[in-house]
Amino acid sequence: MTTSSETAPVAPARPGLLAADARFAVLCALGIAVFPFLLHPLGGYSTLATQIAIVSIASIGFNLLLGYAGSLSYGHAMFYGGGGYLAAILLLRVSPQHPNLWLCVIGATVGAAILAIVVGAVTVRLYGIYFALLTLAFAQMVYFIVEQAKDWTNGDDGLQALPNALLPMGPWNIDLTTHLPSIDLGPFGNLGELRLWYIFAGICLLLVLMLSRMLTRSQFGEVLGAIRENEQRSTLIGFNASAYRLAAFAISGALTGFSGALRGMFDGSVPVDSLSIDRSGSFVIYTIVGGVQTLFGPVAGTAVIMFLENVLSARTPAWRLIEGLIFVGVIVFLPRGLSTVLKQQRDKSPRGLFVRSLRLSTEEPDPLLKPSGEGHKGGPMSIIETFKLGKLFGRFAAVRDVDFRVDPGELRAVIGPNGAGKTTFFNLLSGTIAPSSGTVNYKGRDVSRTSGTARVHLGIAKAFQTASLYPDQTVRQNCRLAALARVQGSFALQVFRRSMRLDDVDNLAERAMSRLELTGVADTRAGDLSHGDKKRLDIAIALATQPQILLLDEPVAGMSKDEARKTEALIRKLSTEMTVLVIEHDMEMVMGISDSITVLHQGTVLATGTPAEIRDNPRVIEAYLGGHSEAELTHG
Amino acid sequence: MEALFQAMLGGLVLGLIYVAIAVGLTIIFGTLRLVNFAHGAFYAIGAYVGLVIAQHIGVGWAFVAAPIAVALFAVLLDRLVLRSFYDKEPTAQLLVTFGIALVVEETLRLIFGATTQQYRMPEALQGSVTLGPITYPAYRLLFAAGVIVMLALVWLFIERTNYGLIVRAGIRDRIMVQLLGGNIRQASTIVFALGAAIAGLVGAAATPIYSIDPATGFAFLVPSFVVVVVGGLGSFWGAVLGGLLIGELQSLTNLAYAPASNVVIYLCMALVLLLRPQGLLGESEVIRQ
Repeated sequence: MTTSSETAPVAPARPGLLAADARFAVLCALGIAVFPFLLHPLGGYSTLATQIAIVSIASIGFNLLLGYAGSLSYGHAMFYGGGGYLAAILLLRVSPQHPNLWLCVIGATVGAAILAIVVGAVTVRLYGIYFALLTLAFAQMVYFIVEQAKDWTNGDDGLQALPNALLPMGPWNIDLTTHLPSIDLGPFGNLGELRLWYIFAGICLLLVLMLSRMLTRSQFGEVLGAIRENEQRSTLIGFNASAYRLAAFAISGALTGFSGALRGMFDGSVPVDSLSIDRSGSFVIYTIVGGVQTLFGPVAGTAVIMFLENVLSARTPAWRLIEGLIFVGVIVFLPRGLSTVLKQQRDKSPRGLFVRSLRLSTEEPDPLLKPSGEGHKGGPMSIIETFKLGKLFGRFAAVRDVDFRVDPGELRAVIGPNGAGKTTFFNLLSGTIAPSSGTVNYKGRDVSRTSGTARVHLGIAKAFQTASLYPDQTVRQNCRLAALARVQGSFALQVFRRSMRLDDVDNLAERAMSRLELTGVADTRAGDLSHGDKKRLDIAIALATQPQILLLDEPVAGMSKDEARKTEALIRKLSTEMTVLVIEHDMEMVMGISDSITVLHQGTVLATGTPAEIRDNPRVIEAYLGGHSEAELTHG
Repeated sequence: MEALFQAMLGGLVLGLIYVAIAVGLTIIFGTLRLVNFAHGAFYAIGAYVGLVIAQHIGVGWAFVAAPIAVALFAVLLDRLVLRSFYDKEPTAQLLVTFGIALVVEETLRLIFGATTQQYRMPEALQGSVTLGPITYPAYRLLFAAGVIVMLALVWLFIERTNYGLIVRAGIRDRIMVQLLGGNIRQASTIVFALGAAIAGLVGAAATPIYSIDPATGFAFLVPSFVVVVVGGLGSFWGAVLGGLLIGELQSLTNLAYAPASNVVIYLCMALVLLLRPQGLLGESEVIRQ
């Protein structure tokens, strides 16, 4: 590939990537190895160092949900405490003679993951306060169940004095409470103060850090971020937002359960407090103080707060007040957390330094944009058709008894006065809302109950009246996300691969951009685009999903005359390759480009016909213009 | 039978406290679009101010000082911290108000200690009233009547004044109200102070019944949020219905099987969220954010 030197920083070859991973792992391992000795001159708590390493894992799990999926859980104690209790119960009940740490910890992690999937199945569709309260509610229910199941959990007293579980490794049974060899390290204490537990916890933390880095950089993390940034757009380019959220919730819950299990095994006890609201709140505090959406923030926050707590809580009753003030101070003055003070936040490098050859963009037919099934018009089969379609909002019928049929390859305009139900009708076609009555058929198949996301995969894509974009991403990345949904499907737990490697995605995105003449601004942040470019980008996003039918809701609204004509020409070109439905008030454009026109009025179809028929239809003139002259209809 | 009546009256009193806090939450959300996790702190501050005034000056003054002090605190908080969070996403609002709740709770603990405290009503109000088969403390009945009168006044404020118009319009369409401009800033301040003052007054008035410790604010806040969600965010009558429902549910469960009384309200909320996500009397147009 001739462009390889340019693409190198964007999609590095595999060996380079591995080297970066290895460097990351070595640096993390060094940090974890040095940490207890740095803590020593500050007060020297080898137990604290181990606890911090363990609890950090829960904070990383919490951050995965809050930082990357954008959901604030107020019930993570159910996973943390739940993991602790499960591990302890496994320890006490399954093999009390030969306690096996692997069994307890892995069993507890799996249990926490199952709990997270069950709870997540009902909570992930909710947002903000509703999500926070419902997770809190479930945590309280778990607390209640644990408190009541006294035979298993010892009620309010918690499970105390657990036997020491051994860690079987091949032929050896390792006792993690063994001290390391005694070596004097001067001001940094003595190596012998540490137990093997710290090494084990440190390795676990290292692995979790690597997992977290991999997740957030993977295709999975990329889509999760897109859903957080603009869920409406994400579902309508074909991502199943609930499935992504649920996956994030399950991973987050499993990591938190893992942490709780380790903590219980290390402490040798599981208090009922590990399930409390305060516990849930502590993960919020650790993560926010350290920095959400950062890899090390949760670890840093956990270390700082747990250390301060250890030092201060014995000396002053005001410790919790200090903690609260730190928390509020960070939210108000450093919304991105403490860890961002230490290093300048790296600019998200614009992904595409490479501009692909524009040779692809010009006139030649495009193999990636599938031509619609039957190219000729008026074929026996419609591409989209509705029967008696209706939508009620309360008692108000926004759309009533609409029979509508579009042939493959047609460019149909849908017009009508404001409030005629045009946008509602489009939402019914795209599946954003469900009809109250009637059906929508796509290629002869009833899709009335098919979700919007699934309809995108069938080939129905929509551009919004108000452009719905990912404002913080580049134009290219906006299109790549849509192309990614087409290539990978509505959900893929693709945590190993980065989407940058997918040539199909690049090709689709580049073509969508060039179709809409956006290649020149490919590396601009979408939020910084002009109004016209935003509207065109919205169409490009829809186009990158490889639609067979494209719904455009007022594509030229708010554009200058020149821009509108330019966009009109682009739409006309698109319509040679796919079916296009367009809502528009710009009559010059409607009359100029449409094969046929449907007029909606008060939620019903008033007339359908060629532009000439519609122009001369007296009922249309009456309804649409309230009796104004024909000239106005022609010239907008 | 008598126990049942007792429990139902107890549920009414408890429910009215929830209603009062929930109404404050709802009107603040409606006008400011602020999800206020620090609302329980207003209750607690009102209770402690009431406690100090009642012990040193007189019970009557406690009922005057508590709402005023809490309203002033709320306005200060609003100006210093919360104002910059109005336009942020709900998660950021939840976090900052949670932090404020934490700070208030710990400050109260430093000043007043962690122990449970209470003040006694004057002799005249300490008696009991006989209602058919049961006798009930007079102050509790008076308290219930007082809260009902207060809620009626709040309702009149919402329905009959210009500020109330902004509250109602804000619940429907926040942006439109902002576009109308003008005195919305002033209205927000008044509504925030009013919501806080209600919580503060109820806190002071309820202390002879429920006693107070620094964690009480949060302990009342969470069920009140449940009430708001069950009743429908932004709905006055939703808050009333939800509050009475949750109060009775908790009180009756306590009678039937005490350990479950803390968890039954969450079950109730989970059911409502699953079956009718906008809440019992919520309008579906109010966006669930």
